Amino acid sequence: MSSHSIFVFFVLLVINIHAFVASDGLNVTALDSSGKLTQVSVLVNSPSVFKPIVDSVYPLSLLSSFPEDVEISEYCSDLLLVLGQRYVAYMSCLIPAARPVKVCQKCYSGYSSLVQIYQNISSDQMGPGNVSCRDSLLHSDRLMLVYLLYSNVENIWDNSNCAQCLSKDFQSQTNDTLFFLNVLNQTLSCFEKYKQRNLTELCKNCKKSYKDLNDLYSLKELNHTLCIDLEDAMNMTRRLWSKNFNCFLPREETVPVIAVFSFMLFLPIVFYLSSFLHSEQKKRKLIHPNRAKSYTGLMNIQDKQS
Amino acid sequence: MANITKKVSWSSRGDESGSPWEGTPLLNGSEQPSVSRQLSGGRSIFQIGRLSTVDLEDEITAEEDSRGRPKEIPHNEKLLSLKYESLDYDNIENQLFLEEERRMSFGGFRCLEISRWVVCGLIGFLTGLVACCIDIVVEEMAGLKYKVIKENIVKSTEAGGLSISLILWAVLNCAFVMVGAIMVACFEPIAGGSGIPQIKCYLNGVKIPRVVRLKTLVVKVLGVMCSVVGGLAVGKEGPMIHSGAVIAAGVSQGRSTSLKRDFKMFEYFRRDTEKRDFVSAGAAAGVSAAFGAPVGGVLFSLEEGASFWNQMLTWRIFFASMISTFTLNFFLSIYHHKPGDLSNPGLINFGRFESEIMSYNLYEIPLFIAMGALGGFLGALFNVLNYWLTIFRIRYVHRPFLQVIEAMLVAAVTVAVSFTMIYFSTDCQPLGPEHSEEYPLQLFCADGEYNSMAKIFFNTPERSVRSLFHSQPGTYNPLTLGLFTLTYFLLACWTYGLSVSAGVFIPSLLIGAAWGRLCGILLASITSSGSIWADPGKYALIGAAAQLGGIVRMTLSLTVIMVEATGNVTYGLPIMLVLMTAKIVGDYFQEGLYDIHIKLQSVPFLHWEAPGTSHWLTAREVMSSPVTCLNRIEKVGTIVDILSDTSTNHNGFPVVVKVSHNNEPAKLCGLILRSQLIVLLKHKVFVELARSRLNQRKLQLKDFRDAYPRFPPIQSIHVSQDERECMMDLTEFMNPTPYTVPLDTSLPRVFKLFRALGLRHLVVADDENRVVGLVTRKDLARYHLGKHGLEELHLAQT
Repeated sequence: MSSHSIFVFFVLLVINIHAFVASDGLNVTALDSSGKLTQVSVLVNSPSVFKPIVDSVYPLSLLSSFPEDVEISEYCSDLLLVLGQRYVAYMSCLIPAARPVKVCQKCYSGYSSLVQIYQNISSDQMGPGNVSCRDSLLHSDRLMLVYLLYSNVENIWDNSNCAQCLSKDFQSQTNDTLFFLNVLNQTLSCFEKYKQRNLTELCKNCKKSYKDLNDLYSLKELNHTLCIDLEDAMNMTRRLWSKNFNCFLPREETVPVIAVFSFMLFLPIVFYLSSFLHSEQKKRKLIHPNRAKSYTGLMNIQDKQS
Repeated sequence: MANITKKVSWSSRGDESGSPWEGTPLLNGSEQPSVSRQLSGGRSIFQIGRLSTVDLEDEITAEEDSRGRPKEIPHNEKLLSLKYESLDYDNIENQLFLEEERRMSFGGFRCLEISRWVVCGLIGFLTGLVACCIDIVVEEMAGLKYKVIKENIVKSTEAGGLSISLILWAVLNCAFVMVGAIMVACFEPIAGGSGIPQIKCYLNGVKIPRVVRLKTLVVKVLGVMCSVVGGLAVGKEGPMIHSGAVIAAGVSQGRSTSLKRDFKMFEYFRRDTEKRDFVSAGAAAGVSAAFGAPVGGVLFSLEEGASFWNQMLTWRIFFASMISTFTLNFFLSIYHHKPGDLSNPGLINFGRFESEIMSYNLYEIPLFIAMGALGGFLGALFNVLNYWLTIFRIRYVHRPFLQVIEAMLVAAVTVAVSFTMIYFSTDCQPLGPEHSEEYPLQLFCADGEYNSMAKIFFNTPERSVRSLFHSQPGTYNPLTLGLFTLTYFLLACWTYGLSVSAGVFIPSLLIGAAWGRLCGILLASITSSGSIWADPGKYALIGAAAQLGGIVRMTLSLTVIMVEATGNVTYGLPIMLVLMTAKIVGDYFQEGLYDIHIKLQSVPFLHWEAPGTSHWLTAREVMSSPVTCLNRIEKVGTIVDILSDTSTNHNGFPVVVKVSHNNEPAKLCGLILRSQLIVLLKHKVFVELARSRLNQRKLQLKDFRDAYPRFPPIQSIHVSQDERECMMDLTEFMNPTPYTVPLDTSLPRVFKLFRALGLRHLVVADDENRVVGLVTRKDLARYHLGKHGLEELHLAQT
């Protein structure tokens, strides 16, 4: 399919060269065999740029055989190269930081440089040689690989909420975050300290710092200043506290609760019994309708049916 | 066989006496033996019931004495109350009416048509607005309450004193419920419950006193806020239907009798026929606001009041429901800070069911049907329990202050049970990514995890339903769900019928969703690869539908409401099958909840069809006889006496032309209503006065409309001794062409006439057009098919 349409393209290109030798730019509209309209814009600076000989030298390797006008400019390919490097750098930072999650703390600089280069690519403004790389790099084919890769990164970034922990320009972590990490570390070091000894002692001694941490966390939760790093660290700490060290709150109020419960259950029983015994039962006075003789009443119906 | 011989003997006696109805007064005299015989036979059961009580000697009035034995029985379902009257759906085509029609131009009729649309639009708008108010107030107040309690619980989990939290929660709830219950029990008892039975009766043609008044609306709306915020096992959806109906009845009249304001608008609609049409539109608008289901609302109106409708009316009703949903959406979008976003319909929003996760397969249909059967069974159980409870309440808990105390006790026990369940639950789960709980409780769970039981109990019921539908698999333990189903079933059953205004839709959905989810979890666990297809949310939906269908037994409209509320047409088939099964299974044991409550209120409700085996009954047996008739030109004194007679509270009087002066029944020439007579008396339309004052303004139809719907009682009209001697000419005012049937018309035929035409009085005439009897709604409604064949209900004063 693709080779076929490329073939058609070249045929038309040759025809067009013969037809419009003098013209500077031309739009070629080629209708391929499947009826699909393929529009190709060709930027032609001058007819002399064409090197038809290239076709005969590399007849099989079509990829490298595009004339420069169709190919992306050098500037753009440079940008693409840089993007690739930064992308790889960011990825190789992300993956080791996946568990325990430290993607915000460790990789924010990688992300910001990646964003910067992508913004360069996707910006409207022209680079040297008056070329914009946006169209040629981002959406000139069906796959739109660059865009796809970048939107993946964006997605990861959005889900991780990293922006909440970083300064506006993604250059550093906020003081808030650092303070939280500090408190967290204190708690963890307290855990370390008492871990070898009795666990009940740990529960008692680290309770204050753990509680401070918890309070700080819920405050941050309200302010929406949490990113995945902090959430995950907090989750791990909580799990340590509750599951590993078994620092549960004791369920010691069972008796009063049951007492109140049974008292409240007891009330309706008293209520219903007393209203049954003391309340006057509601009576209905029956009325006898005027009916024609001997057709009143249940008796008659049953008589007649039998 | 006996049937025929009886009839033969009857008619033969008629032949002997020359005139078949000569014996009418004689019948009255011979009533005595038949009554006593009846008492000794058919009533033996009631006598036993009577003996068991303490004070039966009192209150034997003279009237009862004259009839024989005192007839006082405890309230039961086999009674018809005298306090209910019929609505006048039949158009009275008297001369005034014809005159008015002649005067009205073609443009006038067009104007009427347009104003009908305007009224429907207004009904929709106001209903949506009321729904929005209820929603916002409930959300805000419940949010505040849960916040306070949560803070207290968090504090006392650590420091101790959880029993104090329990008491705080109970006191808060009791306070709210007390306010709601006092309003209902002391000011407007008719506003209690969901209001759907009352509206059903109204659309059936029964005039329930005070059901569509402004005061009822106010009490209903405030009451429902209180009871939902008070944490009872209730929903706010049922009352919306009642509210919509009241709004419709109020708007369409263009005035409020309670506020004594008359806007001089829509005067033409001040009749029962027009009002009924608008009330059905209002009920539809209410449903549509409650569930975000405009089509369901229309179908609800048709299903419940469908004996009188046409295509144009349906279209108008649909308009009203659409407007109502739209209004609610619009105002809620403002409330949620997304103005203009209209995709947030309904008070209860089931949320979107994504079709990929929630797809179902052919082999799941039998499972759904089995769940439907279970729902029907549980629904019947619910109804039976509620039936006994309601009988107990009517008999013993009838004083307002007792009712308030009962409601508060229910609130307290609901809290106590919920709290204890939460306290002892060990089911801890982390919160899901998009959790709907604003106030999750941790209690004794590990940090970062929250009590599962509190997710359903410590929340408004609507949110709990949504959580059960949409939470990820594994959010709830089977044990949690099982315990929740059991307790909530009993609580909901206990709560329905309290004198607070509250609906049963949401509790039913919640019970159903809980056991449905349980089914889903169990199915997934018995099949090793089952976790793929047995999504618990899907089964929660099916269970909710089954349980609701099993309790209320609605069919078509409920299916559409559920489909619309879930926003997923693919579930149409399973929901329909489930509701069908639930109805079939449930009807085998017990009627629907609303029908039970209608019966227990002794309402003369006419069902779709006459009881099956009643063709042998004829108008002769069914009718009341003798009939109080009026002459075409009647003495005022006679009319006043007849109207003031408290023992015969008749509302319609056949107008006759007297043939001779003996007691023989006279020829029928028309029918006049009590309300008309009262208006005539009030305006003193007497023959003598008309002669003396020739320039007196002629009475118009407008005068009758102005008095509608609260005609003054006869006692408030003063007729002097001189005026008593005057004469009144009824020719102009009576309905000259009342419907009549011959004596031998079968009961189902009479029934059909009543049901299809919305009649109030049907005159039974003999072959010479002489009045021999009168059939009213109560005469027909007293026959019903019981366990032992055809049974007859008793008339009673309630």
